Amino acid sequence: MAETSNQPTKVSPIEALPEASREYGAIGEVSDQPRWGMAIDTERCIGCWSCAVICKSENDVPLGMWWNRILTKGDELDTPTVGEFGNLEMSWVPLACQHCDDPPCMKVCPTSATFVDAENGFLVEVNQQDCIGCRYCMAACPYGVRVFNWGEPDYAVEGFDLGMVAGRPIGSVEKCTMCIHRLQEDQVPSCVWSCPAQARIFGDLNDDDGRLVQTIQDRNGTRLLEEKGTKPKVYYLEQRRRRSL
Amino acid sequence: MSVSVSVPRTVERRSRGGLWYGLLTGGMVVGLGCFVYQWINGLAVTGLSNTISWGMYIISFMFLVGVSAGGLIVAAGAELVGSERFESLTRLAVILSGAAIAAAAISILPDLGRPQMIWRMIRQPHWTSPLIWDVIIITVYLTIAAVDLYILTRPNPKPGAMRTMAFFALPAAVLVHSITAWIFGLLVARPFWNTALLAPMFISSALVSGLALLIVVAHVTDRTTAWHPAEEALPDLGRLMVWFIAVDGFLLFAEILTTYASRVPDHLKQLNVLLVGRLAPVFWAEVALGVVVPFVICASRLRYRRGWLVAAGVLAMLGVFFKRINIVMTSMFMPLVGLAPGIPGGRAGQEFRPDPIYIPTWVEWGILLGLACFVGMLITLGVRAFVVPRPEAARP
Repeated sequence: MAETSNQPTKVSPIEALPEASREYGAIGEVSDQPRWGMAIDTERCIGCWSCAVICKSENDVPLGMWWNRILTKGDELDTPTVGEFGNLEMSWVPLACQHCDDPPCMKVCPTSATFVDAENGFLVEVNQQDCIGCRYCMAACPYGVRVFNWGEPDYAVEGFDLGMVAGRPIGSVEKCTMCIHRLQEDQVPSCVWSCPAQARIFGDLNDDDGRLVQTIQDRNGTRLLEEKGTKPKVYYLEQRRRRSL
Repeated sequence: MSVSVSVPRTVERRSRGGLWYGLLTGGMVVGLGCFVYQWINGLAVTGLSNTISWGMYIISFMFLVGVSAGGLIVAAGAELVGSERFESLTRLAVILSGAAIAAAAISILPDLGRPQMIWRMIRQPHWTSPLIWDVIIITVYLTIAAVDLYILTRPNPKPGAMRTMAFFALPAAVLVHSITAWIFGLLVARPFWNTALLAPMFISSALVSGLALLIVVAHVTDRTTAWHPAEEALPDLGRLMVWFIAVDGFLLFAEILTTYASRVPDHLKQLNVLLVGRLAPVFWAEVALGVVVPFVICASRLRYRRGWLVAAGVLAMLGVFFKRINIVMTSMFMPLVGLAPGIPGGRAGQEFRPDPIYIPTWVEWGILLGLACFVGMLITLGVRAFVVPRPEAARP
């Protein structure tokens, strides 16, 4: 495999973190062959967009593009909807790449720029060096989580660059990498440690006794558009009771 | 290679020809300029966004692949069923096929974000991608058109050579449309595309648009050059087109009925964009102009009146172009996960687009103009070189 642009090209600031911070964000025990996955507890999610914002800084995502965003189950962004029995309802679906085990985007990529990275927990990654910019993967993704570099990247602060990941060339497709640069330093993705409601659980889906698998089983975790057969590695934990507003 | 062999007889004709070539060249230069401009600045200069990530380039690609059907089908079909009605049209038909498929292959380039990387499709092809299958079948199709043209333009064509070619040309023609359809039809993410009917529908509408183009170009060539088709050839093409329009309309109806009656939510939501939603004007224009009117003209005696027949051809092509717009846009308008605030647009200032719009920019129109002029130039040069009889030969 050619050197991918997803690999950190600079010395990672993660190394400079104080010991306590590193411990807080540590992945912990994993199996011999980890299969990285995530559970998102929609009961805990308060729809604050913290994870979406830190994702933008962590990965230097330019203006107009989001790798991670919070969808609202409601009529509008901030308007509740009238539910089945006349109750007002509102909840959130944090949405980023689902890192499918059977990814439609990978199958249609003409150059294998999108691939399943068996050496990094079977995550779906993009090697922008091989991307020809045909956007077939964007048409093929049922979740609409891929974004394209339409032009010169634009940042709110000029020259904004946290230095964690390499920039992506104009005309290439990008998306959530599950913070692969952090995983390689045994740190959880940024959306996970930064969540103020601790709604995200990151872990190894191959570790049957781990907290992730146990929680998914206890809470009957579901996956988005399960009927499409894409086998996502991101699970959603439903709310256990209906909270009327 | 393509030497203009017909010597203009009058000064007037020469200046008219010069003007035509000038217009085509001008259009091609504009298209090329727009392409270079887009290459430097990125696809940000188009109206595309992350929600509607495919637009006019893909639509024109689908359309051009479609119109390339007419030629080889007429040439090969006539050969296989032993029909001599279209004998006079075969050379012209093959030239149309070659020109359209060559332009289709080129029309992929402006859609790419990084055209300079296209060679990686050859260096590291990913065989599960229908795009790779399409590259292969388009190459095969182009080769067949070239071989056909070579055979047809030999001074003494080998008897049976075209018949042998037909056995390759017909399956290749079926495949080129099917695989182009499967680029879309195999995606679970797009319910409106994800139907087994898509490939048959592509073939039927390709046949309609291909025959329509053949009628129009044959008419223009008839009027402007020394070449003339057999008297019954064009009305006969019209009669053939009736069947293809009927099949095309039937498949469309079958698709709509199945979706509407079974009411699968995702699928129905996308269909409603077409029937009553924002694309309804384009859809009903497609049905009226592209199906009903050409069908009536071609099915009635009107097809013997040249003006009506050519109008039917133009309308049928327009209808199929609208159909391509509808097929691409319907699915793009309705992402499966459609919760607020939607998909980020992709550029500063267009954070989210819950209700996506797509308005092609002047760059896209410029490139489309360039493509159209490129097809026109290939056809003109091909017709001049291989169809129009040489003046010496025309003399008794």
